[in-house]
Amino acid sequence: MKAQKELTMELEDEIFNDGLPKAYYKHNDNGQYVLETNAPWAEKVSCALIIAGNRANLEEIRKAVLAGQKSPLCYHMEMRQMDPGMLAKAAGIAGFRVKRHLRPEIFAKLKLSVLNRYTKALRVTLEELKTVPNS
Amino acid sequence: MTTELAANGKPFVHHHGAHCETAVTSALFRYQGVDISEPMIFGIGSGIFFGYLPFIKLVHLPVTAFRYKPGAVFHKAAKRLGGDFVIKTYRDPQKGMDELRQVLKTGQIVGLSTNLYWLPYVTERHRHNFNGHNIIVLREIEGGFRISDPTFGDPVDCPADGLEQARFVPGPLNPHGYMYYTKSVNPHPDLRGACIKGMKDSCSLMLRIPLPIFGVRGMRFLAKKIIKSPDKLGFQEACRHLAGTVRWVEETGTGGAGFRYMYAAFFHEAAGLFSSDELADLSKEMTAIGDNWREFSVTAARIIKQKDKAEETFAKAGGLILKCADREEAFFKKLQKVARQLKA
Repeated sequence: MKAQKELTMELEDEIFNDGLPKAYYKHNDNGQYVLETNAPWAEKVSCALIIAGNRANLEEIRKAVLAGQKSPLCYHMEMRQMDPGMLAKAAGIAGFRVKRHLRPEIFAKLKLSVLNRYTKALRVTLEELKTVPNS
Repeated sequence: MTTELAANGKPFVHHHGAHCETAVTSALFRYQGVDISEPMIFGIGSGIFFGYLPFIKLVHLPVTAFRYKPGAVFHKAAKRLGGDFVIKTYRDPQKGMDELRQVLKTGQIVGLSTNLYWLPYVTERHRHNFNGHNIIVLREIEGGFRISDPTFGDPVDCPADGLEQARFVPGPLNPHGYMYYTKSVNPHPDLRGACIKGMKDSCSLMLRIPLPIFGVRGMRFLAKKIIKSPDKLGFQEACRHLAGTVRWVEETGTGGAGFRYMYAAFFHEAAGLFSSDELADLSKEMTAIGDNWREFSVTAARIIKQKDKAEETFAKAGGLILKCADREEAFFKKLQKVARQLKA
């Protein structure tokens, strides 16, 4: 439990020390409104939770792809923070077809013209689209 | 605050702002010699709003908007301040980039709408698929552009292909290379009249939209959803939804507490402009409402961290939003009366 706590603290620091601070309005003692760059604690906590959730989700999908339960398309879609509906509009392919293509056996049989549409929409190369990173 | 040079050597002062759109609009006005602050633009453009949109999902979480739709604040503020802008969108990325280069050569600085996910200098914390992130391009440099992104502290360099990707994203979140620059600006805008218009518009947006998801009604709707969420979604998922809400309150360029502090800063300035005590009181009240929202997010964070389990519950978090809703309803009803008596 403690190890997990330290892990989330590290994640918070990692996310919030990346050099691009945002500004927050603050009411100071003189009645003026000034900008400061310290992120509120609540924001750190919820951001870390969401990003950790996204990362874990992506990792899960990657494992599922390697195990042959999902198609690599699913991984790349999730990486670009899209859902099937959005991807369908981006690639110009009907929604139900995109959902079918998330199954590995159907994805394996796709024609090059369809794959090219996905590479354009997701901005990955053809080789990348057919595989997932190993680690 | 740093000074940069535009393409024709005119100095441009980069101010750090809380929100992209208001800060960009304010920077465009400042560049033309009209000194106007970010909260002022936010108030004049009637930025304050509330909308809970459960049917639009970003990364599997519903959207909670604390400001009016992207682009509207710029349009309203420009119109009310008498600024004339050239606004363009493009289908062809190549044409969009060429015209951007041409306009920059004439010494203009150009505001752009981009997709936040694809901007190369944005880090993982800010990365989400949102197509309304506004930036200013100052000049062309070798292999790219000099960009002033007011939400971040300093101007940055951005490679040309990265910017092109961010401006033209395939799919429903395509900004279509949305680009705007000043044609002419009224050097002595009617600030008082614009403020009054902005206040009245805000009141009707918060109080009079007859749908349960917008304005004060929307807050109550969200509060009820949060109170029920642990039973409906399970604790883990409910936490994720709560974290998503807090992210919308604090993180997405709101300047803290869902724009409420920025709006209070607007009233602080407006009170000086009208020399009105009522507006100063309203500013204090808005700050208090902002503190209330902050309290909600702290409570939410405690729930997520599972501190003081017995005390910090979803019911308490929802109750705080209900309290916010009541206070804001009273606030905007009072503002309606005050705004009516102000003279332009």
